[in-house]
Amino acid sequence: MNPAVSDSLVRRVHWLVRIRWIAAVAVAVVTLTASRVLHVGVAVLPLYGISALLAGYNSLFLLYLRRAARRDSPATDRQIAGAANAQISIDLLVLGALIHFSGGVDNPFLLYFVFHMIIASILLSRRAAFLQALLATCVFAAVASLEYYGVLHHYCVDGPVSSGRHADPLFVVGIVFVLATTLYTSVYLASSIAAELRERDEKLDEANKLLIEQDCIKSEYVLRVTHDIKGHLSAISSCLEPVLEGVTGPVRPGQLNLIRRAGRRTEVLARFVKALLELTRMRLSEEIAAERFSVGDAAKDAVSYVEARAQAKSIAVDLRVADGPTDIVGARVYIEETIANLIANAVKYSPDGSRVRVTVEGTEDAVLVEVSDSGIGIPASELPAVFDEFYRASNARAVEREGTGLGLSMAKQVVERHGGQIGIESKEGRGTTVTLALPRRPSAEGRRVQTPRGLRSPQASGDAVPRA
Amino acid sequence: MAEPTMILIVDDDPDIVEAMKVVLESRGYDVSTAASGAEGLKAVERSRPALVILDVMMETGDEGFAVARKLRAAEETANIPILMLTAIKDKTGVGFEKEAGNETWLPVDDYVEKPLKPGELIAKVEELLRSP
Repeated sequence: MNPAVSDSLVRRVHWLVRIRWIAAVAVAVVTLTASRVLHVGVAVLPLYGISALLAGYNSLFLLYLRRAARRDSPATDRQIAGAANAQISIDLLVLGALIHFSGGVDNPFLLYFVFHMIIASILLSRRAAFLQALLATCVFAAVASLEYYGVLHHYCVDGPVSSGRHADPLFVVGIVFVLATTLYTSVYLASSIAAELRERDEKLDEANKLLIEQDCIKSEYVLRVTHDIKGHLSAISSCLEPVLEGVTGPVRPGQLNLIRRAGRRTEVLARFVKALLELTRMRLSEEIAAERFSVGDAAKDAVSYVEARAQAKSIAVDLRVADGPTDIVGARVYIEETIANLIANAVKYSPDGSRVRVTVEGTEDAVLVEVSDSGIGIPASELPAVFDEFYRASNARAVEREGTGLGLSMAKQVVERHGGQIGIESKEGRGTTVTLALPRRPSAEGRRVQTPRGLRSPQASGDAVPRA
Repeated sequence: MAEPTMILIVDDDPDIVEAMKVVLESRGYDVSTAASGAEGLKAVERSRPALVILDVMMETGDEGFAVARKLRAAEETANIPILMLTAIKDKTGVGFEKEAGNETWLPVDDYVEKPLKPGELIAKVEELLRSP
């Protein structure tokens, strides 16, 4: 029975290992203090031995955990829980030995069994925790009775003369009874709380999953609606174009004027819908096709797409690719498009005759892409919102009415899907710099997809035209 | 032109079909239409058009491809040029010309995008009809 989900289980087991390091050191320090400072009659060597033993098997267990975490042979929850169970049993035996060598039934350290019970209750299933309580009771009872019958030597903590309590049957039975009830009560209380917490964890997880699912359903709804809208827009454009081009015969200037306006607005709307579709599709897609490619080359292509627009405004697009590798694993089409979009933005909001700088630089871990312009910039108060969907800065709206407000959200989505980060710096009236940091080796985290499987609509795969 | 060249349009959007029909007829082509893949195949069987304009997405997302493969598979229809109607550049504002050329495994001769640009449509149709 797995008491907890994998992540938290592993975390807790690591926690146990950390506590054991402290225990090993503490045993050594207390032994040293007791023997050298307080001159208590404990068996020094066995106690140092116990400290070393604790450190020794703790190292082994840490090794096991590290290997279990490795990808090629991941351990199951069951195995890790089993190992934790075994560890706690060993801990109990060691504590039994510790108590024996430092005073037997007279030893106040027997209270430490409670710690083990609490740890067991948190880490293990309830049943396993109760079994550990049984084991602890047996270990202690064994120590007490072996000392009682003189099979084991009784070490005195209270000086050279023994109190003799270890040979008093009433005391021995009493202390075993008290310890047993204490341990069982501890396990009962601690495991009740642990179970409650676990349940709450699970509920939170579930609520979270539900939220993601809801978001997915919403996205699919958006996808369906925009898809429909796009179809209608396409038909409108297809009907307007022949009229505009005179295929249906000459159109009077007054009519042409209005039809042209209608055509332009249709195009604007179509662009918006396409951007929304693309963004939603990306959000719903489970995985992006990944290949190794050079971001430097992608940037070159991106510049070439936007060149005509830049030339129309006499803007020079300056691309500098630093020496060294700029390759990453990812979807080239998306990265290319993202860079092109950023350059197109820079061109759109920069004065005629200015310069747009694009730099690509590869480091050990990441490839940095920077697109900077000396354009209108973004007001500081609006900067935090620019990555929000549909958001357009007030001054951008003043310059161009027809933006979708989706460009930067899309860039963010693309970069995040590659496990990277996007940043923006801007001063109103001075210019804007957008920086992308794309990891050379995307982590599993970055590629992890939030979309639950099996929720994709057939449309999610797009127009059935395979993407490169 | 003794007999007008016959072009078949297979698309389930009646308005886009009408727009294309108007454009092609203005150039003297004889246009017939079909609203689904199955209808399209029947029409090819019946009238052997000189060219088929095929929409990719009809009832299913790839119906157009299925029709194209069927046409290519049959000996009598294997040589009919196919012009595929797609929304391939539906990404963002930036065009991706490179992508269109990549789909070599698809059994079509050329693509034309929605929404329709009359000039482009005519140019592509003429080119396909000219080539042997």
